[in-house]
Amino acid sequence: MKEVKELNEKKIPIIRIDNSLEKYKAMPIFQDKVDKANEMLRTIGLPKMTKK
Amino acid sequence: MKLPRYELKAEKSLMVYEFISEGTKGQIPKLIKFSETALKGFYNLAFGDKDLKTGNIDDTVISNNGDSDQVLATVVSAVYAFTDTERDLWVYATGSTKSRTRLYRMGITKYLEDVTADFEIFGLNDGEWEDFRKGVDYTAFLVKRKELSFERSNTEI
Repeated sequence: MKEVKELNEKKIPIIRIDNSLEKYKAMPIFQDKVDKANEMLRTIGLPKMTKK
Repeated sequence: MKLPRYELKAEKSLMVYEFISEGTKGQIPKLIKFSETALKGFYNLAFGDKDLKTGNIDDTVISNNGDSDQVLATVVSAVYAFTDTERDLWVYATGSTKSRTRLYRMGITKYLEDVTADFEIFGLNDGEWEDFRKGVDYTAFLVKRKELSFERSNTEI
């Protein structure tokens, strides 16, 4: 199982492309959360970034 | 990140992912979506269970499949994939309930050492963003990939 272990240790996963998932891009799933994110952007905005 | 995670499938823009949670209650398909918001480059991250009969996605259901660590590790790996080609993106996440937001906080805390090497992580506390600290009861989270740094390579030239 060395290969699986090696894969798990890589931060960027190997992804299989599945075109059947394309339909979810246009679907308004999780729309309530997107609305809340937009409200947060309107009222609070982004964090102040400082160079570290 | 050394925790096991599930195999991911995605459509070609890498905004929608699917994986199968396998636990005590069997196989549960899950969907992760990075949705555009009103601000360019700012995306909302959400994930939930896919109902195989209706095709609906539910982000409020508590699956209790006994694999929450592996599920969170898989979601974190999707964030790595999503921000890998375009690093100047913001990813925002909040739970659908207080307990789910707490679960996210615990997940971030668990991987904090690993992910802070690659991401700026912020928590929303009393209406203000601050650098993520362990033990604070945040209502939302925001991450941004750090700029690339050169690492010593083991490859001999």
